[in-house]
Amino acid sequence: MKKKGLILGIIIISIIIGVAASVSSSNVESYDIDMTRTHGSISTAMGSPILGDPDAPVTIVEFGDYQCHQCHNWFLDTKPMIMRDYIETGKVNLVFVDFAFLGRDSPKAAEATYCADDQNKYWEYHDSLYTAQESKIDNGWANSERLKAFAFNLNLDMDSFNECLDSGKYSKRVQYNSQEARDNGVRGTPGFFIIGPDFEQHPIGGAQPFSVFQRVLDTMI
Amino acid sequence: MLKILKLVFSNFIFLILSLIIFSSMMTVLLFISEFIFFEPFFVTHIPSGSELGFSLIVILSILSALVIPMNLFRITHLKNSKQKIGGSIFGSIVGSVAGACSCGPIGFAVISTFGSIGATATAFLTNYEIPIRILAIVILVITYFTTIKSLKTECQVNF
Repeated sequence: MKKKGLILGIIIISIIIGVAASVSSSNVESYDIDMTRTHGSISTAMGSPILGDPDAPVTIVEFGDYQCHQCHNWFLDTKPMIMRDYIETGKVNLVFVDFAFLGRDSPKAAEATYCADDQNKYWEYHDSLYTAQESKIDNGWANSERLKAFAFNLNLDMDSFNECLDSGKYSKRVQYNSQEARDNGVRGTPGFFIIGPDFEQHPIGGAQPFSVFQRVLDTMI
Repeated sequence: MLKILKLVFSNFIFLILSLIIFSSMMTVLLFISEFIFFEPFFVTHIPSGSELGFSLIVILSILSALVIPMNLFRITHLKNSKQKIGGSIFGSIVGSVAGACSCGPIGFAVISTFGSIGATATAFLTNYEIPIRILAIVILVITYFTTIKSLKTECQVNF
């Protein structure tokens, strides 16, 4: 009887240890985000950190793909002026939400930005991707090795970055964001929603010039 | 060459046709390549580094507006073969399709509808947009000169 109890005890303890070990080694996606964060009709909870003053009266939500050359054009031509006149002055803030649909390297590039975010370098990494973008889709400029090289250039801790990227820690987050884009009727990148203080929502499709954003923003501030 | 152009475009119908082809091609291609926007306001915009792409669209529209009416003139007035109009329409379509996909709504629709095949096609058309447009222009230039040559010969025979 004692022997049976001992064997049963060993089995139960083994099961508990096994379950505990499998839970600790499995890829549990746990990250510190505010799941209630929304801007207008858009759930931005899984999107980027807020760029600019979180209390700014107006928010620009940008849906983009890191391989999209029009997003690159907007990043170079329009965004700097929005930064200077609206974001740095505290009138507007910006949230980037991934719409990674263009090629096989697009989702991985988006995941990499959140791996950089783990080390508080989301926007630096985001900027380095758009700065380094090459005109050809899926030609290798955004493959895993290059994504790791961008992280290295930003002096990120490479062990944790590599582990994050290789494990696909943020793959579901990127999928969620892309679905959010579809649910909000985004049909291409870049796509923008400008959300005002009374939740009025203005869509802007494509890499439009600064003058268009200026006209919309000035009516809302 | 000028005589042939005068002959074709002195006909009001072919002049109007040419203007329609030019304006519609320019508008559609500039819109899908995001050089013009209609919403929320009408605005034109040439981002830095996109000047070559813009110039190729203008050249493509001008050539299509010349070559297609000239070949229609051959068919309707001289009752000749339809061979060359194939070249002009092919050149115009090839030039239009390049760059139409990319990250805009057309590219999104193609990828959503055809999945990985659509994504591969979109990537190809985006990556080789400029060489494809140049190829289309070459096709249209060749068609233009062969049309001029054949109109010269046919008009001498027929008139």
